[in-house]
Amino acid sequence: MMRITLIAVGLLLAVLLPLAIPWLNFVFIMAVAQGFAALGVVLLLRAGMISIGHAVFLASGAYVTAFLLRQTGITDLGLILLVATLGSGLFGFLIGMFMVRYRAIFFAMLNMAVSMVVFALLAKLYHLTGGTDGVRVATPTVLGAVLDRTVFDSLLLYISLALLVAVGWLVHRYLSSPLGKALEAVHTNEVRLEYLGVSAWGVLLYAYTISAALAGLGGALAAIAVGHVVPELAYWTHSGQLVLIAVLGGIGGVVGPFIGALFFEIVRVVAAGYAAYTWNMIVGLALLGVIFFLPNGLYGLVQRLLKRGGGS
Amino acid sequence: MKDIVRTALGGLLLACAATTVSADDRPSELRIGVFTFLSGPAAAYGMPGRNAAELLIEQINEAGGIDGVPIVPTYVDEAQGTDGVITEFRRLASDRDVMIAALSSANCLALAPVADQLRVPTLMWNCDTHQMFLEDEYEYVYRTNSSTIPEFVSYALYLLETKPDLERVAIINPDYAFGHDAAEIFKETLQTFRPEVEIVAELYPRLGASSYHTEISRLVSARPDVVFSNLWGADLENFVRQAQPRGLFQRSTVVLALGETILQRLGEDLPEGTVVGVLGDGWWQSPTARENPDTQAFVEAYHERYDEYPVFPSFKMANSIMAMKESFERALENSGGTWPSREEFVEAVAGLEMENFTGTLRIREDNDGLVDQIVGVATPADDRPYPVIGEMVRYPADLVTPPVDEDPIAWIRSLDQDFLDQLPKPGSYQ
Repeated sequence: MMRITLIAVGLLLAVLLPLAIPWLNFVFIMAVAQGFAALGVVLLLRAGMISIGHAVFLASGAYVTAFLLRQTGITDLGLILLVATLGSGLFGFLIGMFMVRYRAIFFAMLNMAVSMVVFALLAKLYHLTGGTDGVRVATPTVLGAVLDRTVFDSLLLYISLALLVAVGWLVHRYLSSPLGKALEAVHTNEVRLEYLGVSAWGVLLYAYTISAALAGLGGALAAIAVGHVVPELAYWTHSGQLVLIAVLGGIGGVVGPFIGALFFEIVRVVAAGYAAYTWNMIVGLALLGVIFFLPNGLYGLVQRLLKRGGGS
Repeated sequence: MKDIVRTALGGLLLACAATTVSADDRPSELRIGVFTFLSGPAAAYGMPGRNAAELLIEQINEAGGIDGVPIVPTYVDEAQGTDGVITEFRRLASDRDVMIAALSSANCLALAPVADQLRVPTLMWNCDTHQMFLEDEYEYVYRTNSSTIPEFVSYALYLLETKPDLERVAIINPDYAFGHDAAEIFKETLQTFRPEVEIVAELYPRLGASSYHTEISRLVSARPDVVFSNLWGADLENFVRQAQPRGLFQRSTVVLALGETILQRLGEDLPEGTVVGVLGDGWWQSPTARENPDTQAFVEAYHERYDEYPVFPSFKMANSIMAMKESFERALENSGGTWPSREEFVEAVAGLEMENFTGTLRIREDNDGLVDQIVGVATPADDRPYPVIGEMVRYPADLVTPPVDEDPIAWIRSLDQDFLDQLPKPGSYQ
């Protein structure tokens, strides 16, 4: 109960604060977008598998969005988000079919290899992708209506938050389902899982596809919010950042990656805004601090506080 | 969660504290955001820009600011990536009057619609890409410098004059849009006038590569008459140091489009006769710059503080700051002395024509800047331990910039002998 109250308060703040401070609107959308991608990473982390290439699915969602708006007549926000999510899911399914045969470092490095191939293609296919200058993303329409950009931005935040609740709940259900529980079993004892008659390959492919679709949804939101997509979205450091956000937030639950993403965005904004020359170091130190002192991530801290609060 | 909220709130309170409501009367200070690369490899280009901004703003403030209002800059590091840059832009937009942004073309393309949305006057100090104003129209976004088209067409024109019989051309550019754009513009211009020109090698090493030995082998074995490059920063320095001992500079005429930025660093390691220039007219020793006492005062102050002379990115930045000051002054004149609104300010930027440190700047109707282009060759100097630019030509902006609304590549293909005859000749600018 306490947890639901906290989530409700968090959402309420996310809606109210931007009314007072408009630029937070953008920060919150970006946090949700990054959070979706990090949630995808968390799914795989639950199975003990680290993907250092997951930004490729974020990038695919972002580029699908850009191309839908530029090349086809599709401008409806809902349809774009759906196509980008499904498109990335399909891409994840295809890549996943051979990716989930591998474990540990091989899995991590192969993911990174795929993401770097896509990064290189996005940067090199100049006439198709605009190269490193990227592609402009126009403002989508909402249910046929062309909105003023400022109104649209507020609406995009509300839609992001609604998606966060809806998709978050679905993923929560998935994690509590046998298929979701099997992920942890892959981590603890894969052989035993196979003896139980469950295909680890199938379990992982399922998770991989979902995680790619989540990253694609995040990519689509980010692309629409920023209004521009660049190949750096698929670069391996961006994938590393997603893993970092996942670890920061904690991999215990669905809320973790979103807390991690919000923390990361805010630390970066404050550091870059008030220490233009040392912001990299401040961000690094903040992350180190969390990892040293909060081994279960920020979500672990929340859980600990909840327990204490519930006990007293 | 509580802690997170607390952290977030803390950040917000800080931000709010920094925000003061400006009265409709004269503000106590003019707050601007300056976006450039402060870290990473691109800082080689970004820091001279930052330094110029810092120094020039100080000089302006010492002289009384803009009609008594001092300028207060906030510098933003573009190395945090496009979404970070957009976040900062949106954050600063709430209480900054003007933005000087940005260096990277990708960032500029992403920022421009945001600037229009938030109605923040934005002067782009670098962003060379010719895509900038090609498809979209902006109300609040202006570029106070030239684009890739005049910048790289000029090098081809210079070669057509100085090496009329060139046939074999090799290109080595950084592997991103800037490098590919430059290659296309350079090739198109040469081949428009000399269709027999053959591109014998086209290499795109990645940005930040430290070794160019493979590329240099290819370049040497391709036996080009001309090697064109728009590498820059540490990449360019590395390339020259590695290529020089292998005789590339003896066998071919090497064109370094951003060569001016490394003259002081390489000194005598840069072989004589290398074609170098600046993107624009921002050379601190050009005849125009020498004649202008303000420029010389700025150059000396810059040297004193940063221990090197300003390079052309410094002047690109200076152009933006000066254009901002001039526009404010014009807007004040138009309004009869009341401080201009953002709209009145951008109205003054549109159609601006002004003298700056190294020449003139005109903002034309598509919001793009018109700036002359200087090209020359590295020549030993009598009074300095590093080469200067000799055999200079100064191509007038009107001639080498495509007209508004014309496809730039189509424009290049339409150039003819009459066009060449109008141009000043190499060595004519002295």
